[in-house]
Amino acid sequence: MSTLITAKNLSKSYGEKRALNNLNFEIKQGAPVALVGPNGAGKTTLFSLLCGYITPSSGSLDILGHKPGSAQLFNKLSALPQDAQLDPRFNIDTQLSFYCKLQGFSTKQSKIETLRVLDLVGLKEVAKHRAGDLSHGMKKRVTIAQALIGEPKIVMLDEATAGLDPIHAREVRTLVSELCEHTTFILSSHDLTELERLCSHVLHLNNGILSEHQTKADQHSENKQYYTLLLTENYHNVEQQLMTLGGVKHVYMSQHKEYVIEYQQSDELLDIALLKFCHVNNWQYRHLVNGHTLENQIFKQENA
Amino acid sequence: MTGSINSARIAQLALFELTRMFLTKRGLIALVAFVVVWLLILRYPIGEAVSLLSEPGFTSLAQDIFGSLGLSKLLDWPEAEFAMYWLAALIGFPTFCLFMCSDQTVEDRERGTLRFISLRATRLEILIGRFIGQLSVLLCLVAITLVATFTIMVYREPSLFMGGINRAVGVFIQMIFVLSPFVALMSLINVIARSSRLSFVIAVLFFALGNIVVNLLAWQISALTALNYVFPGMQIELIAGQNASLMMAYGLPVIQTGLFLVLAHTLFVRRAL
Repeated sequence: MSTLITAKNLSKSYGEKRALNNLNFEIKQGAPVALVGPNGAGKTTLFSLLCGYITPSSGSLDILGHKPGSAQLFNKLSALPQDAQLDPRFNIDTQLSFYCKLQGFSTKQSKIETLRVLDLVGLKEVAKHRAGDLSHGMKKRVTIAQALIGEPKIVMLDEATAGLDPIHAREVRTLVSELCEHTTFILSSHDLTELERLCSHVLHLNNGILSEHQTKADQHSENKQYYTLLLTENYHNVEQQLMTLGGVKHVYMSQHKEYVIEYQQSDELLDIALLKFCHVNNWQYRHLVNGHTLENQIFKQENA
Repeated sequence: MTGSINSARIAQLALFELTRMFLTKRGLIALVAFVVVWLLILRYPIGEAVSLLSEPGFTSLAQDIFGSLGLSKLLDWPEAEFAMYWLAALIGFPTFCLFMCSDQTVEDRERGTLRFISLRATRLEILIGRFIGQLSVLLCLVAITLVATFTIMVYREPSLFMGGINRAVGVFIQMIFVLSPFVALMSLINVIARSSRLSFVIAVLFFALGNIVVNLLAWQISALTALNYVFPGMQIELIAGQNASLMMAYGLPVIQTGLFLVLAHTLFVRRAL
């Protein structure tokens, strides 16, 4: 897998406040990468640096061998910046065609490309509408469409599904998973379940400091293993009863009705045993996750 | 953020400004208002003045008035409509320019639209493209008013047809140089301001307070009179009467335009989008 983005000792300060503190990371071509963190953690600052909207206070960023904002990245890197809006006075197709032409498309190709990207987000029918006449969700999807013009190598989506109804949020997730074969997405969202579904590489920012996580598929390298069990109701003595299962080392309640079960690797299939145990005890479960949920990993780290 | 230049992208950015003026509802309303105002100017101040200048009894008085204002060369123009148009355009268009160019990049920047564009064009291209676009819009308006003036003149005196064309082309070329520094100044102010309204206010303050400050400084140190060359339109008084040197008529506006654009670019590349 080739490296798309490399950050070395990257810092950004606003006056006295240090928004990003000495970040070092690499993003490789492939599965979508998640950028998570609480409000004010520095996610949008990092997005802005990657897009070249702001310059770093120190350190370096290399995107496909070029500096952010460089003309060599046009057509290769695209983004949905948080809160950025299209001009409300123009038709959608006029604006998207304009962006296509800036990317080197001919007038005829621009019209075709505009309809293609609008079709991807299910909004082909609003091509002739003015941006100001669209609902919030539609505007968001149109701005996602502009990020897909010309099939760039890297697409950064900052809070792409925020404000979308569940159906359209799911459509965006489906779109990302369909396009990720040719495009590497960098996604920022507060919906950790969504990111967990899509991404294997997670960049976690907290107070400007970066840590990296792997989602469940990569957790198996550890000797200790975990399951996360979410029950539908509160049952008595769940932790104590789960400890009676063979191979279980430790159980704790991670949040309401949710239990993290730490067990020792063995030939025994604990997940099957666990589900049978639920059945025997008449416990209704909502889901069983192989490993820690991303939410729990992040919560643990932020409270460490 | 780099300073590379791609002429195709600049052309697209400039063309989009023309689209903004001529193909949006707001642009068309502004255009209609502009046409109505100029029709009134052509019908009354210019039309009446031409009638007066044509009267034999008024000629010596006109020569006195125009002579005292340094405009006597304009009386030699057989195309009297263009002489009056020239004076109206020199005052009207720069003022209109401050209003019309008050939103060159500022609203797009505040709305975030510039973030989409900056992923497809460098900041230098955006700046130059918008500058050329806005200047082109203004020159389109100049051309429209010149055609209207020409039509009125030929209607009065058909024999002035060929001379009128030459005069219109000459006026058009001079207007390019008159307006360029005003548009470039607005490019610079747009980088600093946070709204189009504020950019207009800053422009007005620049001329009003700026002149007072320079005069006060020049009163203390006479060499500082040279600061007057910072103000676009400084040469208008001279070129109105066709008394300006080539340097004043063409050199100064080019230098001013270049300086404003260089300064605007320097600030623009450092500015967060």
